Formats: sequence, C-alpha cells, structure tokens
Amino acid sequence: MKRAHFLLMLPVVALLVGCEKEITVELPETPEQFVVEGVIEPGLPPYVILTRTQSYFDPIDQNALANSYVRGALVTVDNGDGPVVLDQLCSTSLTDEQRALFAEVTGIDPALLSSVDICVYSTANTAIFGEVGRTYRLRVEAEGKVLTSVTKINNPVALDSVWFQLALQRPDDDSLGYAWGTLTDPDTTGNCYRWMARRISRDEDGNVEDPTFISPLGNTFEDKYVNGLTFDFSFIRGRQFYSDQPEDSNEEAGFYKVGDTIAVKFVSIGFNEHEFYTSYDENVGSQGDLFGTPVNARSNIEGGLGIWAGWGVYADTIICQ
Amino acid sequence: MRSLILLLFLTSGLVSLAQGSFTISGYVKDAATGETLIGANVYAKETMTGTTTNTYGYYVLNLPAGTYTVVMSYVGFEETSQTVDLSADVKLNIDARTKAIATKEFEVVGEKVDNTESTQMGTVDIDVQKLSTLPALLGEVDILKTIQYLPGVKSNGEGNSGFYVRGGGPDQNLILLDNATVYNASHLFGFFSVFNADAVKNIELIKGGMPANYGGRTSSVLDITMKDGNDKGFHGQGGIGLISSRLTLEGPIVKDKSSFIVSGRRTYIDVLAKPFMNPEGAFAGSGYYFYDLNAKANYRLSDKDRFFLSGYFGRDVFELKGSEPGSPDFRIPWGNATFSGRWNHVFGPKLFLNTTAIFSDYQFSFKGGQDDFSFGLSSGIKDYGLKLDFNQYPSVRHSLKYGVNYTYHIYTPSTVDVASGDTEFQIDTPSKLKAHEAAAYIQDDYDVTDLLRVNAGVRLSYFAHVGDFKEYILDEGGNTSGIRNYSPGETIKAYYGLEPRLSMRYTTGPSSSVKASFNRNLQYVHLASFSSIGLPTDVWIPSGKNVKPQVAYQYAAGYFRDLWDRKYEASVEVYYKDMFNQIEYREGAQPQDGGNTNYDALLVFGKGWSYGAEFFLKRRLGKFTGWAGYTWSKTMRRFDAIDNGDPFPSRWDRRHDISLVVGYELNERWSFGSTFVYSTGQATTLPVQRYFIEGRVVSQFSERNGFRMAPYHRLDFAATLKNKPTKEVKDKTTGEVTTIQRKYRSSWTFSVYNAYNRANPYFYYFTTEGTSANNDLRPVAKQVSLFSILPSVTWNFHF
Repeated sequence: MKRAHFLLMLPVVALLVGCEKEITVELPETPEQFVVEGVIEPGLPPYVILTRTQSYFDPIDQNALANSYVRGALVTVDNGDGPVVLDQLCSTSLTDEQRALFAEVTGIDPALLSSVDICVYSTANTAIFGEVGRTYRLRVEAEGKVLTSVTKINNPVALDSVWFQLALQRPDDDSLGYAWGTLTDPDTTGNCYRWMARRISRDEDGNVEDPTFISPLGNTFEDKYVNGLTFDFSFIRGRQFYSDQPEDSNEEAGFYKVGDTIAVKFVSIGFNEHEFYTSYDENVGSQGDLFGTPVNARSNIEGGLGIWAGWGVYADTIICQ
Repeated sequence: MRSLILLLFLTSGLVSLAQGSFTISGYVKDAATGETLIGANVYAKETMTGTTTNTYGYYVLNLPAGTYTVVMSYVGFEETSQTVDLSADVKLNIDARTKAIATKEFEVVGEKVDNTESTQMGTVDIDVQKLSTLPALLGEVDILKTIQYLPGVKSNGEGNSGFYVRGGGPDQNLILLDNATVYNASHLFGFFSVFNADAVKNIELIKGGMPANYGGRTSSVLDITMKDGNDKGFHGQGGIGLISSRLTLEGPIVKDKSSFIVSGRRTYIDVLAKPFMNPEGAFAGSGYYFYDLNAKANYRLSDKDRFFLSGYFGRDVFELKGSEPGSPDFRIPWGNATFSGRWNHVFGPKLFLNTTAIFSDYQFSFKGGQDDFSFGLSSGIKDYGLKLDFNQYPSVRHSLKYGVNYTYHIYTPSTVDVASGDTEFQIDTPSKLKAHEAAAYIQDDYDVTDLLRVNAGVRLSYFAHVGDFKEYILDEGGNTSGIRNYSPGETIKAYYGLEPRLSMRYTTGPSSSVKASFNRNLQYVHLASFSSIGLPTDVWIPSGKNVKPQVAYQYAAGYFRDLWDRKYEASVEVYYKDMFNQIEYREGAQPQDGGNTNYDALLVFGKGWSYGAEFFLKRRLGKFTGWAGYTWSKTMRRFDAIDNGDPFPSRWDRRHDISLVVGYELNERWSFGSTFVYSTGQATTLPVQRYFIEGRVVSQFSERNGFRMAPYHRLDFAATLKNKPTKEVKDKTTGEVTTIQRKYRSSWTFSVYNAYNRANPYFYYFTTEGTSANNDLRPVAKQVSLFSILPSVTWNFHF
C-alpha cells in the first residue's frame, strides 16, 4: 500500500547522479530508554522482549546484542481478571525445539538464539492466553523504571481469498510472482490491518525456507480510503533482516516462485498499533531515503519505546502454482 | 475604513504642498533599442535635486521657475544634459546612448547608483547582462542562483534555485514577473529557475524594508521586469548549451510606437538520450524535459498612454515508461503560466497610473501506476487579479505611491486518487479553496531635510476564505463526525490587518549614510513541504479557519558608504525578524494521509525568529568588478508539536555565509568570471540511538535539526570569448579598407562548476552494513554529494 510514495520518489532519485562516501559523525550522549516488543495473539501466551536503546554507532556484535536485553524485570499482563506475572525465558537454556518455537513466535533469527542469550518474558499460564475482544494491560518494572501500555485483540477479518500470480517481469517468465489477497473490509471505519507471510516449504537442506514471519515494506494499512469495499491487493516477498540467502540478492529477490508454500497471517490491529507499525515501517524503510523526513516510531508504551500489540490473526496458506 | 480616510486626507494635504512649482517629466529610454530605463538618475545641476525613473522609465522633477541643466546619468550610458527654461510644465523624454565600447574602463551596465541616497535598505539590483559572464551550472545562466550570492540570501541546497531571505521560508518571497506572481520558480526539481535571462530587463531584490506597494509576502520581493522589445529594428539572440537551447526575437510592430519580444527555451536531455536508449529496453520512452516561453508586446498610443501585454508559460514533464509488464510507469507534468496586461496612463505630469490585470496559474499533477495499481496526485493555484498603482510627485520633496489591488485565488489542495484494478478507492475530491485578497496602500518618500529622507507607508490588507467549501467536522480523535457545506460566496473566515512600513536615511557625509527600517508584513498563504528539499509536490495552503495568516516584524539598521570615487560601495546591515503563524506538517505525516479530511488537518503551527549582520563590498567600476559578501545569522523556530516545544534551528539556519563574485574584462574579446561560496553546513536531523523491533534496526532521531552537515564550499570559473566587434570591409571599386561594427556577434562561454571537486554534502543518512549472521553487522554514516567537477560550454549569439 505504500507503493504510491515510492513512485513519487523515483523520478528524483533517478536524476541524482551523485556520489556517496562514508563519514564519521560525532553523536551526543543521550540517556538510554527501555524498548518493549510485546505481542498477544488468540490462543497463545503473551510475550514481551525488553531491550534498551544503544548509541547509534555502538558495535552491533553479538555481545552488544546480548547486553541490550534487560533481565530481571517484573513483567505483568492483566486481562481484567488480575495481573499475571510473566516468566523470564532465556534462549541458551532452552531445547532446540523450544528455540525454534521461540524464533517462530518472536521473529528472531534461530541461529542467533543459540549463540546469544536472548531473554523473553512469557508464561505457560493459559489464563492469560489471548482471547479475541479482550483488553490487555502491560506493566514492566525494571531498574527503577516503570513502563505501561494497553492493547486489545480485535476481531480477525478473514480474507476472501489468497493466491499467487505471476509478475511477468519478463514476458516468458513462468516462475516468479507476488502474493495476492482479496479483502472485503467491514462496513465500519477504523479497521487496521497488517500483512505478514513466510515460506513454509523446505529448501534443499530440508529447512523451512523462512524460519519466521516477515512483514514486507508497506505491510500496515487502514480502511480510511477503502471502507466497506472489496478489493485485491498484492505484496512482494519480504526479506529477513539478517538474511544471507541467495534468493534475497539475485533476480528472485522480492518474488515468490512456483513451488513455494506461503503461510499468511492477516492481522487486525487497533489504531494506536497501526500508528506504531506504519511509523516503524517508515522509519526502517526510509533509511537512506532523501525524501523520507525523519520519523520516530510512534510508540504506545508509557515511559519507554516500542509496542504492545494485540493481534487478531486470520491465517491462510498459498500454494504457488 | 478609518485608515482609508486617513490615506485620502494625507494625499490631499500633500498635493496642496505642490502649488507654485513646475514639473519636468518624461521617459528615459535606450536610444538604440527603445527599452525604457529603470532607475536612471535625473537631476537639476543647479539645485542638485533629482529623482530616479520608475519601473516604466518615467520620471518627474518638481522645481521652481527658472533655467535648469537637466542631467541624466545611468551607468554604462553617456551622461546627457539639456537646458530647460522652466516657466510652465515641460515634457522631456531622454534618449540615452550606450558608451562606446572601447572606453578604458569597463563598467557594469545598467545599474542604479543609489547605495547611499535612497531610503531603501537591503535592496539589490542585478545586472542581467553581466550574468552571462559568470559561471553557471551546466552553462545555464540563472537569475535565482545569482541572487544567492548576495548577503542575507541563502541557497536551498546544492545546485538549487530555491532561496531563503533573512530567515524566511521559500514561500515568503514574492516573485513577480511583470507584476504577476510566480508560485513555483524552478524547473527540474529546483536545479534551474524558470526565468530565461535573455527575456529579462531588470531584476530587483528587496530583502528588508519592503515598501508598502508590495505585500502578501513576509520576507522579500524579487521583482523581475521583462524586456519590452526593441522598437527600432529587428534583432535576435540565442544560445546553444549542453542541456538546453534558447532563442529570442524582438522588433518593432510599428516603429517607435510598438514592439514585441518572444523568447523560448527548451531542454533536450530527452532528445539527446533517445538514440542511446534501447527502444526495447527497460525504460524506453522515458524522458524529462522542460520548456519556457516568454512573450511581450507593447503599444504606445501617445506620451500619455502605453499598453503592455506579457505572458509566461513553462512546463516540466517527467515520464517514466516501463516497457515490461509489472514495471512502474508514470507521468508528472507541472508548471506555471502567468499573464499580465498593463496600461500606463499619465494624468498630468505629476500623476502616473499603472493598471494591471493579472492571471497566474500553477499546476502540478502526477499520474502513475504499476500492475493494477494506479495513483494520481494533483494540486495547484490560480489567481485572477487587478491592481491600480498611482505614482504621484506633488513636490520635489515628496514622491507618493498609492493604490489598491484585488486578487481572487482558487487553490486546489493535494488531491489524491488511487485505484487497484477496478476498485476505486474512496478518496473524496477535496473542495477547491476560494479566497478574496485585497489591499490598499499609501507611501511617501519624503525629504524631510536635506539630510533626512523618510519612506513611510501603510498597507491595509484583507483576506477571506469563501465557499463553496465542504468542511469535515472532526472529533477530538481527529475522526470525521460530520460535514458542513458552505454555499458559494459564503465567508468561512476573514482576516485583515494593518501593515506599517517605515524606512529612513540620514546622510552622514558626502558619500555615506545610515538607514533604518521597520515593517510589519502579513501573508495569507503558506507553503507546506513533505520533503527536506523543495519539490513540486509542495502545496500552497491559504489561510482559513485554522490556518492563521503569517505575520512578520522586521527591524533593520545599516551603514552605507561609497568608497574611492564611488568605485566601491560598501554596507553593513543588521536585522531582527519575528515570524508568527508558521506552519509545518506534523511529525511523520505523509502525503497520502491528507485524504477525506480538512486540507489543514496535517499541519502544526509555531513561530520563528531570525537575526543577523550582513557585510557587503562591491566594486562597480574598472576591469575588475564584483563583490564580496559575508553574513552572520541565526534562524530558529518553535512549534508546540515538535520536540516538546523546544526551539530548534530552522533548516535554512547557516551561521556563516561567504560569497565572492569576480568579473575581469581582459579585452574586448576575453572576459572571465569566478565565484566562490562558503557556508556553514545545513542543519539536519539524524538518529542518535537505535533499537531492535522484529529483528530490524529502528532509528531514534535527535531533536529536530540537531546536527550540522559539513560546511559547503565551491569555486566556479567561467571564460567568455567573443568574436571581434568590428570587421574590415574593402570597397570593391576604390580598394579602400574601412572598419565597421559587426551586426552579428557571437561568444563562447566555457565554465567549470566545482573547480576543486569538493564533495559537498547533499544529505546524510545512517544505515547498517553486513549481517548479524556473519556477526559483521555495523552501523555506518553516509554522505551523498551531487555534483562533482562539471565543465560546460555554451555558444551565444545576437544580431
């Protein structure tokens, strides 16, 4: 849905015949802040990843990454029946199977989970598992700071259909294409959506091609202009941030291909969550973009940064043929 | 109303002062071309009292009865003097002749010499003829880039024709082409201005102390007068450059009575690129071009009445056509059209009226698509206006200007349409915004004593946003809770205000003076920009229910001095400026957010202030000419909705700004020009911290414009080689050889942009390199530069 913005930038970018060089920039000391990445889905336990901001040019090696996780926090989630304390689970003390689940749920690179001790707050207490229509209050206490937020799991909106369609970048191409969906938006305004997908087919080594769900650029949209309409839309294949897979840098980049099986998550979210994900997307996507005005991700966390989101998930599968 | 009565009272009082003297009045013209001369000095030698010609070349001298030697002087022209026996009003039209070329000293041609005389501060006239010998980006002579070399005027960025004056935004400059407002003065995303220098006669920039006859903008006036056309004979000029060609033709329609000028320019990057583009390639059929057409005609009915029609039409078109399915294609045309019809009428020697009818139009549109997805964006502004401007010269000590004007504006706010396949997205077409703008003004340039001259004026302006209009009633959360429709002509919101203007000069010596000025300006239109550089997507937003008019107060003082036989002029000016009701888009707003709500829903409001000192030294005469300017300034803004209301530097805040412009006339064939600029780096917003969400790096930005890019500096050179001005002709019968002036002249201009190949910052960005899988992920800062060293050559001719 963000392609319009892209089109607008293209002509100017095409004209810029400049050169680029690496420079050194002196950054001021800024107080660190806590960052929440928390999600609750129907039928699943809530999870909260708590990190701290780092100075922009601090190294991003695995040590630094491990140090950015905030341990020993008191994290509670309350669905109205009283607060439930989440347990701290750290990746290096989990089994391979648990780690795979950890990766799938959080979107963190599974390889990283076994080499760096990454901690997440979650629980096996089914009383706090997500239910559609309920409101969830989050409270985090750590190192003397208190962070709070509130979210709701909205009713999932089912897609009428999902399918694969050839992109025909070359007239004779019979392999590469995009994922398509048809949405009938409910006749009330204020519906917000997020698209994410992963290839669950196996690669030559027998591994699932995408270990986690990926949200391609422009994944979040609202029904401001499409309220009550039935319409088709398409998404490219997103790329894992840490990907070193060849199909992310060759001519297949951005495309699904015949033979892929795609798991789709079409998520209903609230307006504040929409505000966060669109600004987050803008922030991540505009790095290096002259025309992107600086946008901080608009957090819904009081006392910190990040997101606490209820996801009303509709799941579907596409077999690319 | 009370003010209008006051104006009338003032006027009648001044007229009565004029009894008992006679007037000498008339036009000053270039004898060779018939072009009227703007700002020529006309004075009586005996009393040393004088005046200067107005925009139409008209002057009036009020003197007691007697015999006078009336002298006309204008740089580059022979001084004329005529004896006038003044016992009744006298009409005296003066033909000025250009100085013979082979004078020892080269002079700047066609420039006012009133550095220390006038009450005007911060006013600069640019010599159009001189422009062609200065270095230019890709050889394209550019008026707007030349004014950026002046102190107090800053560039919008590398190669950009957008400019900022004394801390004001780009929308705060009133750009007039033959009295018609030009809304977007640039081509090619700002790299070239829309003014074709071949068609331009005079350029005046007013940075401060804006006189009351100008209004509607808070920072500056750039008043551009097109050539009238040669009414003596048919002539042409033109040029062929690397990216564009120009041709200008002018001549009499009826000799000495009526003339025309037509001037055109078109770029040909698209034509040049075509043979090299594979017709079956990915983007065959893509292209970019712009063109300009200026045309003007005038007719002199009598010495009392003269008519002018002038028009400008320019378009930029960018097309990208993907030949393959699935690739994006789009077309973006945008441009200005202006038209003005004027009638000069001399009622009596002391009263001159100019009536102007104006039409101005700026349109931008974007049509694009990819696969089944199509997207359109358009915006624009249309003006219909009428102006009556009187110049009255009641006595030798007073020069009055008063007038009224009215403009009907139609703004098209950003209008978006999107479709995916057969589904049209539900985006309302927003109402066009219609507005009445009117003003009345009076000002007097008054010689209080021989040493003190005061220019005092006041402007009363009015603006009303009127229906028809569809207003979205919004609840606290910004959601639409209802719609209110206003009927055609119904006033939605009206504003008015008084704009006092005062400037004064006190002569402190034979060639020095001090000046001071104060003004309050109102501006009823704002420009809102999503990008950090000026783009044609920027939208003009009128004042209305929530958008209050911009208000600026400027206080300035200066010392002006001519040095070494008036070969040099120097000045120091300081200013302080307060700007209220400034606008910005709210943080994170995107063009597509503006649908189905009010045109002002994405805006936030704040204030700005600016202060600085400007130093200027100019050499006007000699083989070496040019100037040096230095500006120290600070420009800040404060918006409640940005950075928690903390003040932040404006994007056009530059602490130091230096420019050097040098011209050297070696001989009648070779001349050289060079420019050097240095300025403090542009303020920019960069990330200071980062964090991870869903495995991606998220940047946390600093306070607005919290960083400075590296300083900008650049040196350019140009060399111009003209053909010989004369040729030898052998008489076939006598064999005698005589030297005659060539009718046909041509020249080559070679120029080098960015001579020492400085990589000037255009923008900075932060990104990451490597992957976490390889554990070599690292954040990096990058600088993008636009133009490296760029040589160019242009061939010019005139006949």
